[in-house]
Amino acid sequence: MAAQEPEKLRELGKRLDDVQKRNAGRAARPPPTQMGIASRFATELGAALLVGGAFGWGLDWLFGHFGIHTRPLFIVVFFVLGAVAGIRNVMRAASELNAEIAAHPAPSAKDDEEN
Amino acid sequence: MAMNPMEQFAIKPIVPLHIGGYDVSFTNQSLLMVLVALAASLFLTLAMSKRSLVPSRTQSMAEMSYEFVANMMQSSTGEDGLRFFPFVFTIFVFVLFSNFFGMIPGSFTVTSQIAVTFSLASLVILTVIVTGFVKHGFGFLKLFVPKAPWYLLILLVPIEVISFLTRPISLSVRLFANMLAGHTMLAVFGGFVVLLGGAGGVLSLLSIAPMALIVAIMLLELLVAFLQAYVFAILTCIYLNEALHLHDSH
Repeated sequence: MAAQEPEKLRELGKRLDDVQKRNAGRAARPPPTQMGIASRFATELGAALLVGGAFGWGLDWLFGHFGIHTRPLFIVVFFVLGAVAGIRNVMRAASELNAEIAAHPAPSAKDDEEN
Repeated sequence: MAMNPMEQFAIKPIVPLHIGGYDVSFTNQSLLMVLVALAASLFLTLAMSKRSLVPSRTQSMAEMSYEFVANMMQSSTGEDGLRFFPFVFTIFVFVLFSNFFGMIPGSFTVTSQIAVTFSLASLVILTVIVTGFVKHGFGFLKLFVPKAPWYLLILLVPIEVISFLTRPISLSVRLFANMLAGHTMLAVFGGFVVLLGGAGGVLSLLSIAPMALIVAIMLLELLVAFLQAYVFAILTCIYLNEALHLHDSH
């Protein structure tokens, strides 16, 4: 009986290694919730508009300081650029999300039964 | 009785203090931040003080949070990103504890103040910028120059710069807005309970409905509290990763 113990332990160790290897790719991260995704996209877009507008406002202010009246030219231009940057941010966030879902598929019921 | 759901976010001075014309009073906000920092450090030191091989429940909680952040960093920034582990771990634990302390009825949510979240986000972005310039010198600026013909770059570079500058804002607004919205919702439904309960008759019985809803929202808010701390930490990692590896990691 006693001679079987190491054998059993080794087998247990191997099984543990298997489980660990199987779970290695699946990082311990919580799945994104619907609301989390929505708030992420909304803030990305809104923040970009805000920064774009502020950038343009700042440039107008700077030029106005030197006596060149550009207002509202830069605000308009940079607001549009901000919108583009915002959409770019949202697209990047979406592709990150897609990659995450593709890399970590939902654990199937089969995995749980084996463990 | 007037009930204002936003009243819970008011900053009230505890020890009034004015230095050089600036109001630097010790407020309920400062008190909660001190408590959060103390609680986090005490929890982590006490939980790890025994260092037993078979961890107790508290010790395994501390170890789990450590491993959680370590795994997250390894997968998003790689090995050399682990130098920033203390930074990311501190931010994660601080935000997590702030959010959870805010869940205690009658307390104050530090992270529902844009000043706090924006300071944290600025710290993150400044770290990213300094890291980028230290690691790559002026090559870091290549981050703003995508591969495209030169005539498109005139448009693309400002877009990339704006896109970079949105990071501290979206990072801070997300945490702040989530906390603000959740706690306002709780206060509003709490107001319904009081109003219906005081109405008398059948209406008093109806006050059970918003009460039940509060329990459900409370559970959701606990999830949000953790999730937002996680999101803040993972985005910090993603931004650090970009500063460390520029475009080649994609």
